[in-house]
Formats: sequence, structure tokens, C-alpha cells
Amino acid sequence: MSRSRVVIALLAVLVAILLQTTVFGAGRIQPLGVAPALVTLVVIGVAQEVESEYLLLIGFTAGMLMDLIGSGTLGLWAMTLTAVAYAAGRLRGRLREGPLNVVAIVFGLTVASQFLYVLLGTLFGQGTISEPNVLWKIVLPGVWNVILAIPVFWVLGKAFGTQRQSWAV
Amino acid sequence: MFSSSGRRIDRVTILFLSLVAVGFVVATFDVRSSGGGTSEVLREGTQSIFTPFQKGVDFVTRPAVAFVDGVSNLAGLREENERLAIQVRELESQVQATDALEEQVVQLEAISGLAAPGELATVTARITASGPSAFDNVRFIDKGSKDGIVAGQAVIDEDGLIGRVDIVSANAARVRLITDPIVSVGVRVLSTNETGIVTGRGDGPLRLEMFRAKEAVQRGDRVVTDGSRFPPGIAVGTLSATTEAEVEFVLRGEVDPAARLSEIDYVIVVIGWSPIDAGFLDGEDQTSDAVPATTSSTSTTSTTSETTTSAGDGG
Repeated sequence: MSRSRVVIALLAVLVAILLQTTVFGAGRIQPLGVAPALVTLVVIGVAQEVESEYLLLIGFTAGMLMDLIGSGTLGLWAMTLTAVAYAAGRLRGRLREGPLNVVAIVFGLTVASQFLYVLLGTLFGQGTISEPNVLWKIVLPGVWNVILAIPVFWVLGKAFGTQRQSWAV
Repeated sequence: MFSSSGRRIDRVTILFLSLVAVGFVVATFDVRSSGGGTSEVLREGTQSIFTPFQKGVDFVTRPAVAFVDGVSNLAGLREENERLAIQVRELESQVQATDALEEQVVQLEAISGLAAPGELATVTARITASGPSAFDNVRFIDKGSKDGIVAGQAVIDEDGLIGRVDIVSANAARVRLITDPIVSVGVRVLSTNETGIVTGRGDGPLRLEMFRAKEAVQRGDRVVTDGSRFPPGIAVGTLSATTEAEVEFVLRGEVDPAARLSEIDYVIVVIGWSPIDAGFLDGEDQTSDAVPATTSSTSTTSTTSETTTSAGDGG
């Protein structure tokens, strides 16, 4: 494992957080009022490029940064994105098997991560599950992430200098 | 292949469980400390690091984002235009009624010897970023302590209350919106002049609770800040529903925020109003009233009452 790959992965996460809070921030590009979960998508994409141990640490770091910038309880996104990283590491082989698998995994993991965050938020007293439109906030990021997976995975492939399958390009 | 080595799977799983455990401990610690202490320092530090980059990305991408946003909203512009035209007509009639009331207020002030209302000092700021997920109710603005902003100050726009300053660095600040579940605002219903508390629900309408209500409230009643934490008279919203209208007990209702929180670009921070020194954090009992930096009320004030009320002091 090259250290440069870990550094690239961390940079990708940082860029994703910056874009998430600006370009996809409130009042900006939010189709139907909900933005894609770009950081989650990057963690899934990075799963194909770094080993599982590093992937877990990257997921945890990404989540902790989101917690520090966001308004929720510290540690909730850290747990959530660590779980995403763990699942993405397990499923990385299937990610290479074709576009349908990519759609299913990206949608499934994104929706699962949003749902897990809602559960954790409720467990830690944020009352997230009782928010209006919570279902939209869970499902729509999954849809947008499926659409964004093509450009994001292409950019990640270029950044890591890896050759992707034709469906991902 | 990943699954070919049982030993390696164990190592990864152990690391995963360890990180989850760390996250759990951090979350528990954060809840215990009410977001203060080390958590607050970490948040401030992270914000200070990210803010310049967020400002840069916002500056570079804003034209393109505005274009995409405009195209995507084209279909709704006509409907919005019609709605605004109706609103303008309604407001014009309200202005006429308000002019007469203002004249009465001036006369009453002259009789009672009260000081004439004046302007509180404000700072206009631009929103540069928002929270990283759909569940965050924060915005980042491009003005900070160098401009006189301190934590706790009211943040408004032309429509009404947006939130309060949460974390401040030298050149930026974080605003926690009134829709955040931990934000409570002491309010007054204009039609009855009785006080209560509105609390965020994460999204959509705010929850209104009035514990000592003697008069029923109606849908459409305007709700303003009561002066217990923020300057009095700032529009908070309009009553959209009452779920339990039990007079002399607890009135519960929903309030549609006056400000269009999802579409704000610029905000005004009211710096001429001193936030409460003690009981500042949400959820803490607050027994003292705010002390205005000037002896006047805000220009948006429609009531001149400075009544202290424990019912509205939720934060």
C-alpha cells in the first residue's frame, strides 16, 4: 500500500466535504430540497483503491470532520462512515462486477448510512427520526449518489491513476 | 482477495469495532458536555481551518451554482412571481394600517416620556457554506469577532429571525438556525400578547408551546420574539396549526418560520444587543432578561414591551 494512495484518499474526502458544504449546501444545488451525500459516495469510491484498514481510518476521519463542521453530536457521522467503509470494503469485489452492482451498492450504502445516522441521532437525543421529511432525507441522497457515481468514480480513478471498467468511465 | 484470509478479516473487524467504540465514547462525551469544553474547541479549530477554503470554493463556484439553480427553478418562477404579487398587495394594505399605529405610538411615547425607538447596530454578512448533511441546521457566514460578532447574537433577514450565532472565529461565524431541535426562542403572539416558546424540529414548522395561555390563538396569528433572549419584536413566524388549544393549560401549535431558511444568501447579525451572560446554552434555565446595548428597541419592533417572562426563556 502506497502512502500516496492514502493521502489522495484523504484529499478526496476533504474536497468532498468542501463541495458538500458549498456547492451542495443549503440554497445551492439541492434537487427536491435534498443534496447528495458526496462524502459517503467518496468513501465508497475509495474502497476500490485502498486497503480495508486504511479505508476504515479514512471513513472515521471523514465522519469526524463532518461531525466537527455539522451541528449534530460529535461522533455520529464518524460511526456512520466507519460502518460505510467497513461495508464498502467487504463489497469492493462486487463493485467491479458491473454497473448494476454499482447502482445497488451505492444506493444501498448511501440510504443505509442516512438511516443509521438518523437512528444514532435519535439514540443520542437529537430527535432526528421525528424530523419532517426524514424519509426524503434518507432516500433522495441515495438516488443522487447513483447519478453522481459515474463522474465521481471517474475522477477518483484518474486521481489514483487506475484503469476502471468501461462502465465506470 | 479480502475474504480469503480469516486472520485478516478478524483484524479489520476488530479495527472497525474499535473505531465504532471510539465514536460512541466521543458522542457520549459530547452529549455529557453539552457540546462545550473540548468539543467546542475542536469545532472552532476545524471551522477556522475550513472557512478560508469554503470561502474560496464558494467564490469560484457561486456563478455556476447560481446558473444551475436558476435553470432548475425556472418552472417555479412564474408561480413564485404570482405569489409575491399577491403578497405585495397584502403588505401594502398592512403598511397603511401600520402607519396609523406608528402615529399612535409616537403620541403615546411623547405622553409617557419614553425614548423614541432607534436602530440597533447590525452587521450584514454573506452565507458561505452550510452543514455537511441534510440533518444539519447551521450556516457559516463571512463575518466574525473582528466585526463585533459574539456567540448568542440574533441573526435575521428582511423576513424575520433566522437563528443565533453559535461559534465565532476572527473572520467567520456559525449560525444555528431556529429549526435546530436544540434551539428554543421565547416568543409573543401578537394577537393575544401572551408569551411562549418555539422550538425547532429539524425541518419545517416550529413547535409552539404556551404554558400560561389565557386566550386561544388562531391560525395566521403572527409570532415575534419576546425580548427575553433576542431583541423584542423580531418576526419569528405565523401560526399554522394548533394541536391542543386548551385555555388555562397548555397551548400547543405549529409556527411556519417567517424567514425562508432554505434560500437565504445574506443575513443581518444584530450586534447591538447583549446576549445573556449566564444560562446562555440551550436547555439551561434562564432567569434574567437580556440587556439591550441601547435603550431603544429594534426598527422591526412592533411591540415595545420589555416584560421578563420565564415561560419564554428556553434559550
